[in-house]
Amino acid sequence: MAWRGTRRLAVPFLVVGGIIAVALAAPVLPLGDPVTIDVSARLTPPSAAHWLGQDEYGRDVLTRIVWGARASLAVSFLAAAIAGVFGIILGLLGGYFRGVVEILTVRSAEAVLCFPPLLLALLVLTLLGPGAGTLIVALSILYAPTYARVAYAETLAARNLDYVVAQEALGARSGRILARTVLPNVAPPLLVQFSLTVASAMVLESGLSFLGLGVVPPEPSWGLMIRGARSTMDQAPWLLLWPCLALTGTIVALNLLCDALRDVLDPRGRNVTANPFRALTGNLLSRTSPPQVSKPELLRVDGLTLEIAAEGGAIRPVRDVSLSVAPGETLAVVGESGSGKTLTGLAVMGLLPPVVEIVSGEVHYTDRTGHTYDLMRLDDAAMRGLRGDEIAMVFQDPSSSLNPVHRVGDQVAEAIRAHRNVSAAEAWRQAVGLLDQVGLPDAARRARAFPHELSGGQQQRAVIAAAIANGPRLLIADEPTTALDVTIQAQILALMAGLKHQSGGMGMIFVTHNLAVVSEIADRVAVMYIGEVVEEGPVDQVFATPRHPYTIALIESVPEGDDDRLSAIPGTVPPLHDLPPGCRFAPRCGFAEAACTTADPPLERIDGKRSTRCRRWRELA
Amino acid sequence: MTTVPLLVEAKGLTKTFRARQSLFGRRRDILAVRDVDLSVGGQEAVGVVGESGCGKSTLGRLLLHLLAPTAGTVRFDGQDLAALGSDQRRRLRRRMQLIFQDPFGSLDPRRTVGNQIADGMLIHGLATDAQAREAVGDLLEQVGLEPTHATRLPHEFSGGQRQRIAVARALATQPDFIVADEPVSALDVSIQAQVVNLLADLRQRLGLSLLFISHDLHVVRHLCDRVAVMYLGRVVETGPAAALFEAPAHPYTQALLAATPSLARRRDTGRPPLSGDLPSPSDPPSGCSFRTRCPHANSDCAAAVPPLEPWASDGHRVACWRAAEIA
Ligand SMILES: Nc1ncnc2c1ncn2[C@@H]1O[C@H](COP(=O)(O)OP(=O)(O)OP(=O)(O)O)[C@@H](O)[C@H]1O
Ligand code: SF4
Ligand code: SF4
Ligand SMILES: [Mg+2]
Repeated sequence: MAWRGTRRLAVPFLVVGGIIAVALAAPVLPLGDPVTIDVSARLTPPSAAHWLGQDEYGRDVLTRIVWGARASLAVSFLAAAIAGVFGIILGLLGGYFRGVVEILTVRSAEAVLCFPPLLLALLVLTLLGPGAGTLIVALSILYAPTYARVAYAETLAARNLDYVVAQEALGARSGRILARTVLPNVAPPLLVQFSLTVASAMVLESGLSFLGLGVVPPEPSWGLMIRGARSTMDQAPWLLLWPCLALTGTIVALNLLCDALRDVLDPRGRNVTANPFRALTGNLLSRTSPPQVSKPELLRVDGLTLEIAAEGGAIRPVRDVSLSVAPGETLAVVGESGSGKTLTGLAVMGLLPPVVEIVSGEVHYTDRTGHTYDLMRLDDAAMRGLRGDEIAMVFQDPSSSLNPVHRVGDQVAEAIRAHRNVSAAEAWRQAVGLLDQVGLPDAARRARAFPHELSGGQQQRAVIAAAIANGPRLLIADEPTTALDVTIQAQILALMAGLKHQSGGMGMIFVTHNLAVVSEIADRVAVMYIGEVVEEGPVDQVFATPRHPYTIALIESVPEGDDDRLSAIPGTVPPLHDLPPGCRFAPRCGFAEAACTTADPPLERIDGKRSTRCRRWRELA
Repeated sequence: MTTVPLLVEAKGLTKTFRARQSLFGRRRDILAVRDVDLSVGGQEAVGVVGESGCGKSTLGRLLLHLLAPTAGTVRFDGQDLAALGSDQRRRLRRRMQLIFQDPFGSLDPRRTVGNQIADGMLIHGLATDAQAREAVGDLLEQVGLEPTHATRLPHEFSGGQRQRIAVARALATQPDFIVADEPVSALDVSIQAQVVNLLADLRQRLGLSLLFISHDLHVVRHLCDRVAVMYLGRVVETGPAAALFEAPAHPYTQALLAATPSLARRRDTGRPPLSGDLPSPSDPPSGCSFRTRCPHANSDCAAAVPPLEPWASDGHRVACWRAAEIA
């Protein structure tokens, strides 16, 4: 993980490091004395001897910039760091323990924010006397509460996460939980806070130094230089330019560094955004392939193969997957975890994480106007236009599909306004209607609720409302009922079945691992095993007379019988980087024969409607 | 079953969460768990079923004293958990573990799974670093993963694989009592079967007691000796698993069974799904909490809370005024 982001870190790191190194090395650099006055040469423009010119007392500007960096950087970095340490400790304690501790830490720290910054600085000054040290103390006190607030808010959110509770359940001490579990997870926003604080401290330093409350002249600081240059701006404008450039340059580099640092610290890598592979091919190839004669299928996936570059060589989590969905048809994709169900769905949506590359395959989609095109060759803008409009997706975990800080009604309305040009009021009205349609009780009032105020089932209803807001023609539902209870699952399944009938021809891909749910909702089923479709056909036929040993084993492991032990499939799913030769199921298959491990069994048609990837399917009957 | 010495015994357990609508709004108390008596014997597996928000998870956390009850007591191995000092309680935590519902949220995204599995052993001083590393490999194998997975981060696993890691973490301290909060609902059937078999084995081999919270009635029936059905914070029916599933006496249990998807029964053959959602636990209906969704409700049902009364001699109890009429 560490080396992946190193390149992104390198540039800002080198720039910030370089600035700090130069400032530290000021005494040994071949520079003059920053306070030596040469009034005869005052305000001379840049020359070979004085690269950046001389200031109003004839002092060398380059020398003063470098020496000034020492004061400016020391003050701002130290102040930001000291404020950070104290603020974060206060925020963590307040957010974790709440109650009295919260009042003693966060709330009392916030009292500081009531003072005007200058007044506070004056107060500290009268107590300690002027100088860079005083400035650091004053700025630390000033900035600590902001850190405390950020840390507090983040800790509050983190303390109820399962993995934090899990530490508590293990019997870990609070200190250990805070340091090992909470702190690393609240660190990213705090890093951003650090870069903001350093920037803001540099600016305040210049202001306070100017008032004589900070760095004492003639010692240089960037702030003092800016203030000094202001009075001679007409005669020597460049004097203003240099310290300003130094200040902004440092702040920008610092922001970049903190940004990159935050991304590198996030183990999940970059967010799911545009797929660079698609962007590339989309531009190289024609924008959209020419419209073709419309086909009965709504969606046809042909030979989809996906690849992920991993440390021990590339892995292919989805190989040669072909599926099709007709209008009004529900196709269930069922398989064990890691079988590639989700990735297949994401590929259709154009939402693959950046690490996943499309090796081959076509995804033909027929839109409202009857045009068929290959989604793999659409550019990002066109894909975004389809997503949420023609093709919608419902994810497994409703609580993470909804934004916790927005009202659910607004989120549904937002989905409408992303694709339809309607007023906010109209979108809200439609959103309430949709929430009512998906069975959210008292929709008009509950639309104003925030996600956490709804139960899991109600959240999933809201997610479905947002998904169907624009009347999609294809709904991809990835385990939409897995997180729900049975009576609610029954309701959601009934809701989804009903939607299909109402909408006249909405096709659905229903990803699930629950065979019983497949039999309730789907017309056809595709059984996946480590990245391949091993059997496909109408649900009744596949379940009544399975033609692949894996399907047979899956059906037998359903805990509906009265046997003492459940019949589990022996062994485990082999890792993707070490797939067995020949049939991937051979090591776990009760029917395997020698030939199974030598050649890949092809996907064979059984009759018009079914197919299997087992060479012995005839003997299974 | 009644002769088994009790490992965990809860009496009159009640948990009320305080919540405020707005700064000046009136306080609304959420009645998450109401007056629940529940016991788990040594090596016994008790299933808790019910809808989301009915208080199953809260009950599980109360039994582990991860939450302090508003009223009632929990005794673990005879000791009142609330009366223990925090250090004593922390030591006792080695013996009780929790497996979470959400395979995405229960693992720290920033630490390797090996370190997280080893945590419990190290916190309680059960193993040295080297021993823990070895044990982690064994545990990963036990839950169907590879020892080499220990150095990976949680996001490199699929949902099902993460839940197996969470199971491994709970098993690491060799506990006596595990509260498993929907532990297999996110797992695939074949793995679910392995984990259910694994839990059953552990129960035999290690004398493990289990509170198994699940919405999968098939699995509960398979794994558990006794079942408690919860609705809106109360236990509405409890009894031996076989008897309760064969002949459910409470209208809610009946509806629950009908809603459970089944391979044997094709779609559209069951009753229409139970309508409506759970009423708000901050404002439960008077009398029987289930009356707003119950097809058999009448005016008596609103008058008073039906007590959990013996239904059969085998410990089967039900809380419904009309159970005898419906049966
Ligand atoms: N971002 C990623 N980085 C590395 N490997 C990944 C990534 N996303 C998925 N994989 C791997 O690709 C394979 C297929 O993953 P996918 O999520 O499609 O499975 P799934 O069938 O949806 O599983 P589940 O039922 O657990 O949701 C898995 O082995 C997984 O570990
Ligand atoms: S091809 Fe051979 S190993 Fe593969 S499923 Fe069929 S019988 Fe089993
Ligand atoms: S008491 Fe009344 S409302 Fe409650 S379950 Fe029985 S019949 Fe239904
Ligand atoms: Mg998935």
